[in-house]
Amino acid sequence: MTDASHEVARGPHHSGGVAPSALSAHRIVKRFPGVLANDEVDFDVRAGEVHTLLGENGAGKSTLAAILCGLYQPDSGHLVRNGVALHLPTPRAGLQHGIAMVHQHFRLVERFTVSENVVLGSRDLDFRLKRGQIDERVAAVAESYGLPIDPTATVGDLSVGQRQRVEIVKALYQGAEILLLDEPTAVLVPDEVEKLFENVHAMTRAGKSIVFISHKLGEVVAISDRVTVLRNGRVTGHVSGKGAADARELARLMVGRDIEMRPQRATHPIGHEVLQIRNLSLALGGVGVLSDVSFNIHEGEMVGIAGVAGNGQRELADTIAGLVTPTGGSIAIAGTMCTGRGPIHSRELGLAYVPEDRLGTGLVPSMSILDNLLLTRERSVLVDRTSLRPEAARLIDQFEIKANGPDHPARKLSGGNAQKVLLARELSGGRTTTKLLVVCSPTRGLDVGAIETVRRLLNDARSAGQAILLVSEDLDEVMSLADRILVLYRGRIVHETPGETASLAAVGAAMAGVLQGVA
Amino acid sequence: MGIPVRITFEQRGDAPRRLSLLVPMGSVVAALVFGAVFLLATGYSPLDTYSNMLSGSFATSRGVTDTLALATVLICTGVAAAFAFQMNVYNIGGEGQLYLGLIGAAWAGISLGEHLPSLVMVPLVLAVGALSGAAWIFVPAWVRSRLGTSEIVSTLLLTYVGASLVEYVIYTPGSYFRNPNTPFPQGRLVAASAKLDPFGDSRLYPTIIVSVVVAVALAWVVRRTEYGYRIKVIADSPKAAQYAGISARRTTMSVMLVSGALAGLGGALLVVGPYGKIEPSIVNLGYGYAGIVIAALARNNLAAIVVSAVLFSGLRVGGEKLQITTDTPIHIGVMLQGAILLFALGGEAFRRYRIRIVRTGVAT
Repeated sequence: MTDASHEVARGPHHSGGVAPSALSAHRIVKRFPGVLANDEVDFDVRAGEVHTLLGENGAGKSTLAAILCGLYQPDSGHLVRNGVALHLPTPRAGLQHGIAMVHQHFRLVERFTVSENVVLGSRDLDFRLKRGQIDERVAAVAESYGLPIDPTATVGDLSVGQRQRVEIVKALYQGAEILLLDEPTAVLVPDEVEKLFENVHAMTRAGKSIVFISHKLGEVVAISDRVTVLRNGRVTGHVSGKGAADARELARLMVGRDIEMRPQRATHPIGHEVLQIRNLSLALGGVGVLSDVSFNIHEGEMVGIAGVAGNGQRELADTIAGLVTPTGGSIAIAGTMCTGRGPIHSRELGLAYVPEDRLGTGLVPSMSILDNLLLTRERSVLVDRTSLRPEAARLIDQFEIKANGPDHPARKLSGGNAQKVLLARELSGGRTTTKLLVVCSPTRGLDVGAIETVRRLLNDARSAGQAILLVSEDLDEVMSLADRILVLYRGRIVHETPGETASLAAVGAAMAGVLQGVA
Repeated sequence: MGIPVRITFEQRGDAPRRLSLLVPMGSVVAALVFGAVFLLATGYSPLDTYSNMLSGSFATSRGVTDTLALATVLICTGVAAAFAFQMNVYNIGGEGQLYLGLIGAAWAGISLGEHLPSLVMVPLVLAVGALSGAAWIFVPAWVRSRLGTSEIVSTLLLTYVGASLVEYVIYTPGSYFRNPNTPFPQGRLVAASAKLDPFGDSRLYPTIIVSVVVAVALAWVVRRTEYGYRIKVIADSPKAAQYAGISARRTTMSVMLVSGALAGLGGALLVVGPYGKIEPSIVNLGYGYAGIVIAALARNNLAAIVVSAVLFSGLRVGGEKLQITTDTPIHIGVMLQGAILLFALGGEAFRRYRIRIVRTGVAT
């Protein structure tokens, strides 16, 4: 294993002649029960370049990445590293060949310091840890790639962006030459994305190879030297040359058809107030989660809540939905107070709620679509499934849910179809017609086609006069759908702006806690 | 070095329905084979032993009625366990609730006595027995649903208290429940109107009908009613229940009370049927604990409890008779029960995973 002594800048950074592949995969096939995850996939990455794997969820990009780093073994096909055939039975073997994965969900010990996390799993440590020495080495590795990080800081105290940096430093410290970054921007605010991209450039300049895994078109265009597009386990396209990729073209390769990407706003004049929130505050276990939140939503209006995960958005939605009783303040739906009166009361006033956690909160996984439709409706003592059956069939049809009928269990639905079931139930009204729709991360983890459908459904609901609260960590989504954007930071609304004229910079800054134009 | 073959467990997308039947049956067969090894090692003929067990339990009319007689109470304790288990509430104390059902039913049978006709008396005794079982689980249910206190510990510990209570009411001189006419400590007989007659000259009582009806009715409740719907939502995802405004607290409370009542009913059925009094040896029979095994064997399917309870009873009855008719120790029967449970639980792996042997080709 190499440590701090890295050779710097040896990679010919796309200068004329084509560099040989640092790592290549040939005709990779990987089958899971019922799914062909990779079907004769070819892929290669050269030293000093960023090669992006683009594809929808389930397209097979994570499977390929797992094969490249030794987490999975291909059913057929093989890997070649610097011209030599490679067999990787474990991720550790991958690491020995300089291949490391930075997972989307970090694998760090929160109570440990940065250096402790970095050296975790190293086999060349002395019996007695020489902390000072290790800290220095870690700092040196970090600095050489412009990843400033304090080796003595406790990981639990770091921001998400900093934690990601720790993961990257760890990979580099272990001698990684090829880094696989799995959806690295999913958890970052715009500012942090910028920083990450700078780090990526520093690494490629030093001759490292980056395999960037993403489904976000904008950033793929910005960072990639080459792009390989996967769909249903197969390579559907290949684009080389920095900036040569066109977002619309990539989207077509990814989905297989043209995609509408225009922002959508309210078309109807906005009506009466449906939701009124006054001075709402919430403390859970003595910790303040929301403080002094006030806003209204009108008929036919969509208000977007932007913010980095964990700034009180989910709690705000839960409180409005009546699942959590606020510590102070009031909530009124359609003019009737419903503070702390429970979800059934709120629903009787016209609330519908699509929670972030689809399977497990919004839907009961083991139950059928039919039974899941019953979840938020009025049920008689003897559950009447027979009379609901035709309606279930109609909703499956209307919302284009791919299922074998009303008895299809929810857990066997794809993410997109589960979300459609949830939306079908919530939009179709149960106890009364829906007046207020609260949706959390409605498109998270969905493929482009399903995202399009979900956004269309939300837009239709808005056009039909429903008031909508859209809580999403996907800033692009909030920016392109909401009529009004509120930024939640540490439980407070720190920024308010009309969706039409919102600037990414201002909203991003507010999300990061840099106060600008407090509402 | 190493073997170029690897055994992998692949999760099945969905367990095929036929496996739900095949795996438990395979488990029984595997347990019998396992038992045969021990029988051979200790010098008994497995075939003779098994055929003796079978004739004692299923192959003769006497065997069948004895098996069903035992199944009467085991269905109750099995349903009691499974009803709670299906909602991930672990009432381990069915044994203690059974004792209390016995005491409550005996009290009703003795004191509400002579004047009531059998048609009123028997249901009344059963109801009091069931209520006593429910009362015994009330405190564990309350602290579990309010404070989240582990019901596993509380219900189990109360079982020991219940056992002491049974011994107390029988062995204390002058106790209300003790037969005053015998010098030897025995339970006092309930009124004749509180006692049923067995079928013919068998040891089987009409109480078997009560057990089976309760099991089937409860299965129907879970499948068809709003109450059952709530139970299923909470069992699968408590968060979804909260989201839908279903009170997990209230439902947990009621499920535990019903579970206790079912175990108590099992005790009452013994009073109305074979015992006619409190039989202090009940504390050594483990009918309540057997219910846990039976529930596991039926994978908490309430209707399937009837089948698994009969199977379990057959093994036990057969094992007991083995000792009487041959010199085979009763422990063979007990060991087989344990083996069946172990294999049944282990068999779950075959239902949920497909086991494949993969040639890796490369030795690592």
